[in-house]
Amino acid sequence: MTQATHFSEREHQICAVAHMVEDARTYWVTGGGSPMAAILLAKKLYAPDAVYVTEDGVLGAEPALPFDPIMNMVSSRAGYRALQWGTMNTVGFHAQIGLMDYGILNTLQVDQWGNINSTAVGDYEGEHRRFGGPGGADSIASLCWRTILLTDQQKRKFVPRVDFISSPGFLDGSPGAREKAGLPRGTRPWRVVTPWSIFDYDDNRRLRLTAVSPFVTVEQVLAEMSFEPAMAPEIGVVETPTEEELLVLRTELDTRGQITDVGRWIELRDDGKYVFAEAGGGGDTALPRSW
Amino acid sequence: MRILSEGQGEYLKPDPDGYREWVRDHKSRAMVSKLMSEKDAVQKFVQDGDYLVYECTYLQRGPSSLIREVIRQRKKDLWLGAKFTWVSAALLVGGGCVSKLDVGFFLFGPVVEAAIREGRVKAYEYSNVVMTNRIMAGAMGLPFIAVRSFGGTDGFKYSGAKIIEDPYTGQPTVVVPALNPDVALIHVHQADIYGNARVFGTGISHSEAALASKKVIISAEEIIDTEEIRRDPGRTTIPYYVVDAVVNAPFGALPGTVQGYYASDTPHVIEVVGSVMRGLVDAYLERWVYSLESQQELLEKRMGVAKLLELQQRETIKEGYRP
Repeated sequence: MTQATHFSEREHQICAVAHMVEDARTYWVTGGGSPMAAILLAKKLYAPDAVYVTEDGVLGAEPALPFDPIMNMVSSRAGYRALQWGTMNTVGFHAQIGLMDYGILNTLQVDQWGNINSTAVGDYEGEHRRFGGPGGADSIASLCWRTILLTDQQKRKFVPRVDFISSPGFLDGSPGAREKAGLPRGTRPWRVVTPWSIFDYDDNRRLRLTAVSPFVTVEQVLAEMSFEPAMAPEIGVVETPTEEELLVLRTELDTRGQITDVGRWIELRDDGKYVFAEAGGGGDTALPRSW
Repeated sequence: MRILSEGQGEYLKPDPDGYREWVRDHKSRAMVSKLMSEKDAVQKFVQDGDYLVYECTYLQRGPSSLIREVIRQRKKDLWLGAKFTWVSAALLVGGGCVSKLDVGFFLFGPVVEAAIREGRVKAYEYSNVVMTNRIMAGAMGLPFIAVRSFGGTDGFKYSGAKIIEDPYTGQPTVVVPALNPDVALIHVHQADIYGNARVFGTGISHSEAALASKKVIISAEEIIDTEEIRRDPGRTTIPYYVVDAVVNAPFGALPGTVQGYYASDTPHVIEVVGSVMRGLVDAYLERWVYSLESQQELLEKRMGVAKLLELQQRETIKEGYRP
């Protein structure tokens, strides 16, 4: 395996998530986008029996990529070669009895307790900007044993307390808060992954920085957060993509760049340092591209 | 049962015995043809003030031609079960048809945002799965259902959910009210004239919505003979006796896809999504709804044979979508 010399921030983030994917575990997602790319990449290279499960009840599909725009669920290409076609209710019940190991979610806003907002930014009962609601994310974050959140490293995305909890993390962070709210015992937010960093949660259920990408510093990561996270005793380095991973991503999983062509480009210089490329790349990092 | 906390949102009151009586008195067990035009079906079975659910979305095997007809007939004061929605909610809000929304997920944009801000539309918060579970409870004839999600969210506060002390385990448990909508719009692959219907492939809650709803309008890509239904009864997804109207609607899901039948019309998908996100729903509705008499006219004037054939040809995956 050769470390890649040129890749986008989004490709790097997808590969970082793919490295977390375990074989023979179920991954329940809302369909398409970075979560799909990460799971399918891992399936092709390291975890052949990882199971891709979508909100519309498709179990273990081998999607026929690429999709037409927005056709990431309830389409023949999205449901191709599945083991079962169910419905939202059937897969919801699978999750409710504990069959879904991991959820992977793109998020608009996340807080220090791993709560997710996709409903309203601002004061819900006053001035606010309205978004589309939790969709499937609430059930994924409630019912999967472990939930991985993806977002961008931006101050407005990492806030001390989300304006509106659409989908639950550790709620107010108090011990047993999820169980008191009726959520299943033992379920939890597990990781947050941005193109720049990886977080887990400390013993007090607070977001904890564990690794940063080799093209940024810890200070740069912290400068793009609106609160001070807990810090791991040693901050690791996020592994960068290999040429093999990028080949699969670019030639099999995302041939049109619908998912990966977002964010700045990184290059490995001759002196062994990863830096942001001067030009090229592009795309609007502010827009969610999960569809 | 001790209530530990409860949301403050208004909700459609569950009435399981009332629903049973409705089903006794209105759901004919006779095998009579329910075939009618989309215009007649919507005129007859969608009333102002109804609670309305649609299955799937305007973009994926949804009852798109029926949604357009609801907007064309300028229905008012509907309460939408806006789960797994994409653009349907915004189009109906833009058409002035809606006063309340139970939110699972919809594509946000200036039109819905303004309607909520100005108080013309009231939003109550749920999630996609909580909404389909509510419909499931309605289909089971129950007053409420326990769910293991949704507790602790801020959406809970603006919903009809409660946390109770479960009388069996003693643990805090979320319950949500069963939902028996007034009307369900469901697009299927095949149906006979009585309403025995087949959905091939994945979906959201079509079987449950058909059982849970007082009035059920099915639109079908193909009307098939009842002999074909009897040849393969395991394929029947929705039984005739819950169905009130059957509409012959080839390409009824356009601009969306119907799995195994035709691909989505990408330029139209981009047009409608862009219209919602940029607040141009009026112009979209003028072009695709108000200026047309019917789905038939849409196919003739806005699509044409060549385009329809192209969409059919682009849908190359057939496995699982033909009996």
